[in-house]
Amino acid sequence: MSKWVIKGLRTGIKTTQYPRKMETASGVSPGLPTAAKGTEKEVQELVFNCPTGAIERSGNQLTVDYNYCIHCFRCKRGSQSPMGWDYGYEWAANTKDSGANRGLGSAFNRSINIRFVDGGACGACISEIEQLNKPYYNMHRLGFFATPTPREADVLLVAGPVTDHMRLPLKKAYDAMPTPKLVMAVGACALSGGIFGPSFMSDAGVSELIPVDVAVPGCPPPPLAIIHGLLLAVKRKSSALLTSSEVRG
Amino acid sequence: MVEASNAVVINGIIVFLSLCGIGIILAALLSNRMNPFGLSLVASIASVSVLLVGGEVLLSGHSVQTELWTLPFLGTLTFKIDRLSALFVFITGLVFLPVSIFSAGYLKRYLNRYNLKTFSIFYYLLFASIVLVLISGDILSFLIAWEVMSIFSYLLVNYEHEHEETTRSGFLMLAMSEAGTIMVILAFLIMAKASGSLDFAALRASAGGLGEVARWAVFLLSFFGFGVKAGLVPSSTWLPRAHPVAPGNVSALLSGVVLNLGIYGITRVNADLLPVSQVGPGLIVLIIGSISALVGILYAATENDMKKMLAHSSIENMGIITAGLGAGFVFAASGLPVLAGIAFIAALYHLINHSLYKSLLFLGAGSVDYAVGTRDMDRLGGLIKIMPWTALFFLAGSLSIAALPPFNGFVSEWLTLQTMLQSSAIHSAGEKIVFALSGAALALTAALAVTTFVKAFAMSFLGMGRSKRVKKVGEVRRSMIIPMGILALSCLLFGILPTYVVPVLDKTVAPLVHEKVADELVPPFFTVDKGDPKFGGAFVSEFHDLGAQVGRSYLPGRGLVILHRGLEKNPVVFAMSTSYTFIVLLFLLGGTFILVKVLTRARKVRRAAAWDGGIRRLLPEMTYTATGFSNPVRVIFNAVFHPSTIEDTKETVAGHFRTAIKNGRKEVHIIDRLIFKPITSFIQSVAVTLAKMHAGSINVYAAYVLIGLVLVLVVQRLLL
Amino acid sequence: MVQSLNKATEWLNLSEISANRWPGKIKVRCKQDRFICHMECDKSIVADVCNWLFSELDYSFASLVVEDLASEQLLTYIFYGGFGNGLICVSYRISNSTTTVPSISNLIHAVDWHEREIEDLFGLVFEGHPRLGDFVLHEEWPEGINPMRADFDPSNPYIHREVDPDWRPLRIVQSPGAFMMPIGPVYSDFAESAHFLLETVGEDVIRIIPRFFYKYRGIEKIAEGNAVEHVILLAERFSGTSAFAHSLALCKAVENISGIEVPPRAKALRIVLAELERLRHHIGAIAGICSSTAFAVATSQASILEEELLRLSGVLTGHRYLFGLNILSGLSIDLADDAIGMLAKNLRGLMVELNKLKKLLYFSSSFLDRLEEVGAVSLEDAVSHGLVGPVARASGLLRDIRKVLPYSGYEKLDFTVPGEEEGDGYARLRVLFAEAEQSVNIINQVASSLPPGSVNAKSFRIAPGEALGWVEAPRGASFHWIRVGEDGRVLRYRLTTPSFSNWHGFHLAAENFAFQDFPIIMATFGLSNAESDR
Ligand code: SF4
Repeated sequence: MSKWVIKGLRTGIKTTQYPRKMETASGVSPGLPTAAKGTEKEVQELVFNCPTGAIERSGNQLTVDYNYCIHCFRCKRGSQSPMGWDYGYEWAANTKDSGANRGLGSAFNRSINIRFVDGGACGACISEIEQLNKPYYNMHRLGFFATPTPREADVLLVAGPVTDHMRLPLKKAYDAMPTPKLVMAVGACALSGGIFGPSFMSDAGVSELIPVDVAVPGCPPPPLAIIHGLLLAVKRKSSALLTSSEVRG
Repeated sequence: MVEASNAVVINGIIVFLSLCGIGIILAALLSNRMNPFGLSLVASIASVSVLLVGGEVLLSGHSVQTELWTLPFLGTLTFKIDRLSALFVFITGLVFLPVSIFSAGYLKRYLNRYNLKTFSIFYYLLFASIVLVLISGDILSFLIAWEVMSIFSYLLVNYEHEHEETTRSGFLMLAMSEAGTIMVILAFLIMAKASGSLDFAALRASAGGLGEVARWAVFLLSFFGFGVKAGLVPSSTWLPRAHPVAPGNVSALLSGVVLNLGIYGITRVNADLLPVSQVGPGLIVLIIGSISALVGILYAATENDMKKMLAHSSIENMGIITAGLGAGFVFAASGLPVLAGIAFIAALYHLINHSLYKSLLFLGAGSVDYAVGTRDMDRLGGLIKIMPWTALFFLAGSLSIAALPPFNGFVSEWLTLQTMLQSSAIHSAGEKIVFALSGAALALTAALAVTTFVKAFAMSFLGMGRSKRVKKVGEVRRSMIIPMGILALSCLLFGILPTYVVPVLDKTVAPLVHEKVADELVPPFFTVDKGDPKFGGAFVSEFHDLGAQVGRSYLPGRGLVILHRGLEKNPVVFAMSTSYTFIVLLFLLGGTFILVKVLTRARKVRRAAAWDGGIRRLLPEMTYTATGFSNPVRVIFNAVFHPSTIEDTKETVAGHFRTAIKNGRKEVHIIDRLIFKPITSFIQSVAVTLAKMHAGSINVYAAYVLIGLVLVLVVQRLLL
Repeated sequence: MVQSLNKATEWLNLSEISANRWPGKIKVRCKQDRFICHMECDKSIVADVCNWLFSELDYSFASLVVEDLASEQLLTYIFYGGFGNGLICVSYRISNSTTTVPSISNLIHAVDWHEREIEDLFGLVFEGHPRLGDFVLHEEWPEGINPMRADFDPSNPYIHREVDPDWRPLRIVQSPGAFMMPIGPVYSDFAESAHFLLETVGEDVIRIIPRFFYKYRGIEKIAEGNAVEHVILLAERFSGTSAFAHSLALCKAVENISGIEVPPRAKALRIVLAELERLRHHIGAIAGICSSTAFAVATSQASILEEELLRLSGVLTGHRYLFGLNILSGLSIDLADDAIGMLAKNLRGLMVELNKLKKLLYFSSSFLDRLEEVGAVSLEDAVSHGLVGPVARASGLLRDIRKVLPYSGYEKLDFTVPGEEEGDGYARLRVLFAEAEQSVNIINQVASSLPPGSVNAKSFRIAPGEALGWVEAPRGASFHWIRVGEDGRVLRYRLTTPSFSNWHGFHLAAENFAFQDFPIIMATFGLSNAESDR
């Protein structure tokens, strides 16, 4: 067994510095399209090619609604696309449902219990959320803990478009949580249904069923974005926008 | 003073017997519908008279003796109540009172099916015969009362005679009981032969004249003979079969009173008439007691029928009592009268407690059976919402029997275990080992008792109802709840006031061990002064230093049970106080309650269903069953239970579709397996040749025994 | 493999043999070059034909495809053989009004769940199947509405029906006092939604009854009527942890229909990325096994490697889970030669770490105690229940699609298919480690001889038709069957995934076990509900 101790010590600290310092390692985020200005042809093509209708145009100005974007890269990898790309990860944003009275309060700042509900996620979101529990991201250092029962959860983390069969479990989990409680929707599916919903078997996101306080866009959102969402939930970070701002000039 | 006391006692007995007589006449006259009420009324008054008689003798300490009439050849029938008798008489009343009240409601279930007149008549006769057994002063009256008691307890158990199962269990009970009686008769005969008289006093006087072999014979015959009635291993098998078929109120009597008679017999003969003078018999009693306790609780832990479970647990409790007696015998024979006294006190205390909580639990089980119609814990559940009072009192009973403070079971089991630890005073290593093993067995028993009764309460009253019937029922009528309340309250009182019980028991035990131990166990440390010669200076100053006397003028009395060796340094051997624990507990619980109320007064409390993982509906099939709960015990003690088939049978259709997995489990009780199976197979071969003698009717057998008894006595008388 | 080669000769005579056996009732068309043989037969003999393939010729069941065509219904049982034996599609037609068809799951148990699924989704009753209903659609789904029927409108939510209060889940254990421990659908820390009923009489679990499809998103239905490009998105995103493999299978099927030639560089890079995904999945699965035994240091070590691979994927392709790469005719981006060189170099370093971890684990007896003889599946059961992938190979069933139906150039590579015989949790762990090593080996081989050129075709036309695409996904064999209509839109899409195949056999490993071994058995199977529920 002592070999394991040595092995563990040898490995050293792998954990990211975020949120004390920004993470600079590459490959931690797939990035998001920002916005673009282009010729009429380019603009038309981009809007047409976007599979989820995330790109909106006004004139030749394009903005991206992050509720819908699934990082399919079609707007980026086309020939000479004008679409800008941002490799950040602080994407989490408050939603219109997140009122002041739904905050957790300062008592929760450094201790939150999180219950995760899989509303039909593809597994990539779940995998990224699991990374939070692992050395590189280690959410425990920030006072975030996973709990097996919603009875002691402060934050409900939901991924997936919410399939029909998961509606009842999700509602039950939400109802079982004590107040004050927050709901965090993780990933494009949870925000808008992604490419699955709305349909006969999926909703168009979590907010159809229960009020969502924090939205984390991305498909899947990288672990750092989810951490940003958790920090936002306890007001230790500020909110990003769910729609890209227009390109000036 | 003595005269007055005597008058109270004798008049009390006369009143009691006439009440029984009146009851019988009334039962015959009253209609079936009115009978339960009449029974409950008259029997309750009779119980009160019995309580008065017992209480009077216990407190005053005057033995009362009367001679009834003289029979030709056989001598005089005498009644004598000393403190030992009085204690048992008192317990009898204590159990009969609530059970009689309970019967009024409970018997309604038989209204259109069975003749309630006969039930009432049997009931009075049983009551009377039990009291008569306890106050008999000579062999003849004892044995006659004993036989009557055996027969009527059999008839009451057999009351639901329409069931095949009932008759068979009843027969087994009677057969074993008679076998026991014969052994007892033989034991008495040996003693009577030596003394030339049937009077107990004469037997006691001539005890010294008996030889070694005769003493052993008397001990073995009386111990194992009375052991049948007490439900001790190896003659315990009748108990778990008789209980489930008996009506609920009869079960309470059977466990709360009738079993005690076995202990009474053992104590009367082996501690009073012919005191055990050697260590050997004591060790046998100790070992048999410990084994009974362990075997009883193991089967109780895995049993799902409420009443069978309680029956197995009676074997366990009788075992604990017997182990206490055994320890007492060993200490007495080793010249340690103080420890012997403590051991006897522990045993008798446990006897009282067992009578109280066991009859309470049987009444609870009876109420559940009455309301729901099943006693199978696998099919109960969730009753606390429907039967809150029954649940509360059953919980009190469960806490008591699981030996949790502040209830009564704790005190006596604690004393018993502490007594086992005192074996260090004995010199022989072999004896110490026996004590250590017995102590370990008893400790294991106590732990398993907790499991058993957590299961009994949780599986029956908590969670979800596991059968449809559970949802349709309601609480039982008030006349059934109140008696349970009385018993539950008694359990609590006997638990928190041991310092008042111990001195009374001490006086009962003192004549047997020729030593008073009350000052040893419950010293008056509030009032004792430094110079008191009985308590060493070290002992007294230890308490003074601790400030134990600070509250001497406010606190009402002694509250600490303690064993001390008064004259040594560090004199305290063990100490505990349920009285103070109870007070602290009250403050803690009350304080917490108030604190929570104050802290959360601004909060809104939201109640939500238990978290079920988000499934559509949590079904009763998804909750733990009693079998599931006790399965670990079954697995760990597999060697004891020794199930004959553990292979699963699997059924499959269409190649790979498993449709059923069945797990058939057949168990033969360890006692049957190891002792009776070999004997029966031997006897069966012999019996084939003797089969022709059997007439096949139970009444004939009973008659055989009675005739046999009289014949033996006559012959014996003629020989002398 | 020797035995399968002999069978290969027999395969050539398939048409003769079958024509002799069932004269006039079966038509056989074999495409030798593509290893595909079509048998169209009579409804009455379909069970015999399938059983012949399965029991006598050693074919494995791949998928059952039902199509609700305009004038008739077409049922196709697809089988795949050992090395060189190719694929066989056994099909028969029934009228639109037919509602009962023969069940073959008593002969080939691997078909069991396919028949149950089709009963729920198409309303076809498989005569003789003992356990139909309450499968994909749960108890609140209205009776008689079958979502995969052509006339079902998938755009609107359906109306729930009142659940029968007397509805009870199936129970198998009938011992007195037996009860069910429910687990899920919301359970554990970050588990996927699934529900298990553990039947027990206390202590040991006697039998496990899983209830799945909590994550059923109706991918097959919502694909219908969409452009192929959109369906590729569905294929890659219904199971995010094996996105590349599934999108590859679909692309291959469509490329097959339309005769699109994939450039050699794209073929090679597809192998690199597929193996990268397998490597990441296997290391993730190893981390899962370590964590199921509560072995924190080992879990951390494996997780570090997993995250490093995720980052590597991100650097290489822009996406940590390799989304958005497969397109018809190749890949959406080219990977520079030196990027591949960097990958190979990094993987060599990672392999050193992985081997160290392996050695440490194999010598930690407390860890092995929890895996050995836990959740064992026999070879016989693996074959009869149609298990695939590492789970099957741990039980000695060595069928790897990369070898038996090579695609994308796997036939030119030199690699082995690791196998074990015990079929227990430890065997599954060893297979994962060995396969991870093989993946690195494959990537190194490809990286050293990467062909030049473009990675996709500039222009192609999607032709109508139907084809099967197959791939050895990280969790095992996966089959994507697609029919494209005249307008280039998808008419029917059938997805058979390794998780679906292996969950079907999960209960074999989870019979008569100690309750605390449940997460370990789960972890060693390493299955995904997203992949199985679709
Ligand atoms: S990356 Fe996002 S915005 Fe761009 S085409 Fe894809 S979904 Fe639309």
